[in-house]
Amino acid sequence: MSRIDAIARSIREFLRTFVDLSVAERLLISVAAIFLSVVVGFFIILASGRVAACETAAWTMPVTGLGFCYDPFQVYAVLFNGALGYPFAFGEPGLFNPDWTPFNLSLGLTLSETTLLVFTGLSVAVAFRAGLFNIGTQGQLVVGGLATALVVVAAAPVFPTGRLGGIALIVIGVFAGAIAGGVWGAIPGALKAYADANEVITTIMLNFIAANIAYVLVLEVFRAEGSSVVATQYVPEHAQIQPWFFPGSADFAEAALLAGVLFVVGLYVLIEHTTFGYDLRTSGIQPAAAEYGGVNAKLTTVRAMTLSGALGGVGGAVWVLMSEGRWIASVPDLGFDGITVSILAGNNPLGVFPAAFLFGLLKGGALEIGFQTDVPTELVAVLRGLIILFVAMPEFFRMIGRYAGLDGSGPASGATDDSAAASEGGEADA
Amino acid sequence: MNPAVHLDSITKRFPGVVANDDVDLVVERGSVHALLGENGAGKTTLMNVLYGLYEPTEGTVRIDGAPQEFDSPRDAIDAGIGMIHQHFMLVDPMTVWENVVLGNEPTTWGGLRVDADAARESVRELSARYGFDVDPDARIEDISVGVQQRVEILKALYRGADILILDEPTAVLTPQEVEDLYAVFEELTDQGKTIIFISHKLGEALRAADDVTVLRDGINVGTVSTDEVTREDLAEMMVGREVLMEPAADPREPGERVLSVSNLHAEDDRGVEAVSDVSFEIRAGEIFGIAGVDGNGQSQLVETITGLREATAGSVRYLGEPMDDVSRRERIDRGMAYVPEDRQERGLVMSYELTQNGILGSQHDAPFASSGRIDWKASRDHADRVIEAYDVRPPDREVTAESLSGGNQQKFIVGREFERDPDLVVATHPTRGVDIGSTEFIHDRLLELRAEGKAVLLVSSKLDEVQGLSDRLAVMHEGAFSGVVDPETVTEEELGLLMAGESPDDESVETARVYEAAGDGPHGGPAADEDDDRRNGPAADEEVDA
Repeated sequence: MSRIDAIARSIREFLRTFVDLSVAERLLISVAAIFLSVVVGFFIILASGRVAACETAAWTMPVTGLGFCYDPFQVYAVLFNGALGYPFAFGEPGLFNPDWTPFNLSLGLTLSETTLLVFTGLSVAVAFRAGLFNIGTQGQLVVGGLATALVVVAAAPVFPTGRLGGIALIVIGVFAGAIAGGVWGAIPGALKAYADANEVITTIMLNFIAANIAYVLVLEVFRAEGSSVVATQYVPEHAQIQPWFFPGSADFAEAALLAGVLFVVGLYVLIEHTTFGYDLRTSGIQPAAAEYGGVNAKLTTVRAMTLSGALGGVGGAVWVLMSEGRWIASVPDLGFDGITVSILAGNNPLGVFPAAFLFGLLKGGALEIGFQTDVPTELVAVLRGLIILFVAMPEFFRMIGRYAGLDGSGPASGATDDSAAASEGGEADA
Repeated sequence: MNPAVHLDSITKRFPGVVANDDVDLVVERGSVHALLGENGAGKTTLMNVLYGLYEPTEGTVRIDGAPQEFDSPRDAIDAGIGMIHQHFMLVDPMTVWENVVLGNEPTTWGGLRVDADAARESVRELSARYGFDVDPDARIEDISVGVQQRVEILKALYRGADILILDEPTAVLTPQEVEDLYAVFEELTDQGKTIIFISHKLGEALRAADDVTVLRDGINVGTVSTDEVTREDLAEMMVGREVLMEPAADPREPGERVLSVSNLHAEDDRGVEAVSDVSFEIRAGEIFGIAGVDGNGQSQLVETITGLREATAGSVRYLGEPMDDVSRRERIDRGMAYVPEDRQERGLVMSYELTQNGILGSQHDAPFASSGRIDWKASRDHADRVIEAYDVRPPDREVTAESLSGGNQQKFIVGREFERDPDLVVATHPTRGVDIGSTEFIHDRLLELRAEGKAVLLVSSKLDEVQGLSDRLAVMHEGAFSGVVDPETVTEEELGLLMAGESPDDESVETARVYEAAGDGPHGGPAADEDDDRRNGPAADEEVDA
């Protein structure tokens, strides 16, 4: 009997990780934010379709008979269906598209973006958990990517050109990216810890420094011969992370996504189940308590920023080895998008994956919208902005929850926003 | 005549919890009524119902016989109720009169300008009528806590309060200030005001109140007149069993020198010297007490000892070794336990569950961690043990620290720190906000630790506590010891004077002796010479006075 109890208990402990009040709340808020931004986005598409000029109305509002140039239903259908390569067939007999294959170009593009955002999202999330706002993931990615490209190109002649040599080069390249990004992250960390410099300012500034130093270095020293753009030499084909099933033009490799998933799990374990993670979280939530508990605040700051930078650097390495095959000066804003991914994920590593996938969908969908409709792809950026806007106002949703009577204004809710209420609730608890 | 306040079978339920269960409370006009109970008995909830912060689930609030429905404190204030919270809600850089009229300012120029003269005059008048002796132009940050409390009372009176509710009003006061507060109570009731105050201290309920209502587990155990009841009766009503009132501290022979502090100086966060030239030492099996009004450098002294603050001069030696370059973590690992003053800032991570809080400070150490990985199972078991042994309620390791009441938070911290198997226990206000049943338990544990040969540094503003438990007692004023006395013989008045920084008549205080604190030998100085004559012989000892 007690054995069964013990098993039941441990299962409960395990499940509790997922139904933790705050985690559940964040999840709810994220889902509500996505839903609300879809609703608000609907009207923005309508409004912009009203002011745009077109021959025939794409959609006519029932009852009023008003015509609009953009059909919001079509926009959403193309956005989400298209990002997956049209698995659903609207208006056809049978819901599913019989011609759909999972390994299509659109889904590949979506997953490529997802993979890169997993790394940058994790980078931001780790810093966030330590109470640090790392805006510098972009710079860490730039530096890491460049280090990867240069090291792999330089090391390539030493290794055999076969499969094993390729794997070795990829591993070396990822390490180079992690180290370079880590160093780039450690700088603002050390400045914060030992010179009291605000990491928001320093990381923003280091983004510019990284981008411009890298640009000049490549322009003057490492530019590939005969290249019309500012870019390094391509890393050899066998040192690029190749897809198993997806078309090569998608710039996506399943192995990289798999690595991303491993990083997600690893980071989760690190944060929740290690002493380092405990120190990191405690410093992030309540620095005075961390100090009391013997946590070296300065060292934790430097370590967290180094880890965050290293993750950004790995993102850069994957970008070079999977997407571009070289370092190129037009680096996409993956680091900045990592901030939004992390916020949507509630800074929880496990949440980073679905959040990155959502933003991957929006990226892939935006491309489809460009192909398939007259709707400007900027509207998709508006949608992304709306999601973040709503996620960033959890109090708004709590308020709605209270009006709906979902909140049990009692001790169980552990009212965080009102210390008086919290202690009162506790009083009633005993 | 109708009673001023009549709470008629009030029930307040929260999801899963009944905070007040069919409570009746009758308070006569012009009387002082104490609401007595342990932490979590439902006192504050009941008063929040009266003040309009909570709506009762069942029951009626009657003021002067008329049933009332309060949607917010605003309605309660309109009905003549004022509440003075434990934490004052004053704007520090502003003057007394500004604080009093804030939100209800008399204005001129058609409401555009605050009529400072009228405001000042009405505050002065109010203050004079009740004999408050408060300067309307003084800044809040410049006046003592006791006077600040009077400003809070003035605020309520200014808004027309006839019934004043005070939540734990004496928690922050010196003994003299407490006496002054009682005088204020008398003045107010003489002029027809009604006072209800929340307390968990028996003595103050007996001393200051006309009637006492005891709550236990949300139920009204009884209302008694203070003329007809003894301390023991009240304690039994509160706890539900007989309580041993005095901690039984029998003197023991102290052993080896555990902590020695010599000529220590430290600064507060603003860089102002907060500890000036403090020297003392504590031996194994000894409780050294530090009394004093909060904010006289006790916090900084303790933080310097525990490794949270750097000394600007002087030294701390622990187990014979200098602590100058020893980190906080290293000090924990070497057996320094610390019950911090600020439990919500330092002692607990408020959003963590008790399991996670239970390993704060031990997160690197076996059995909770091995090679960097935390063993959550061991941590959960540990939290359960502390919860069980220290009677933390609710007994659930999965609740977050912020959802516990203050007293239960404190019990959890005390349990965690005492269970560390320390050599030195630094306990600051270990029973602040803790109910008497648990206070008794914590006191017993402190004495047990002493009996086990631990050294204890006890800092408290509760005089009976430091006096009752300490083997030697220092009084701290403005960063220095104004005296080290024998707790057995010193009187409360003398302590009060020392706390105020005044040196009492030399003959009236038997100044206890401290031995040379400038520990020179690695093992605490010349071996056997001092132990025996520490208590009786003045031979090698140095007299310390203010």
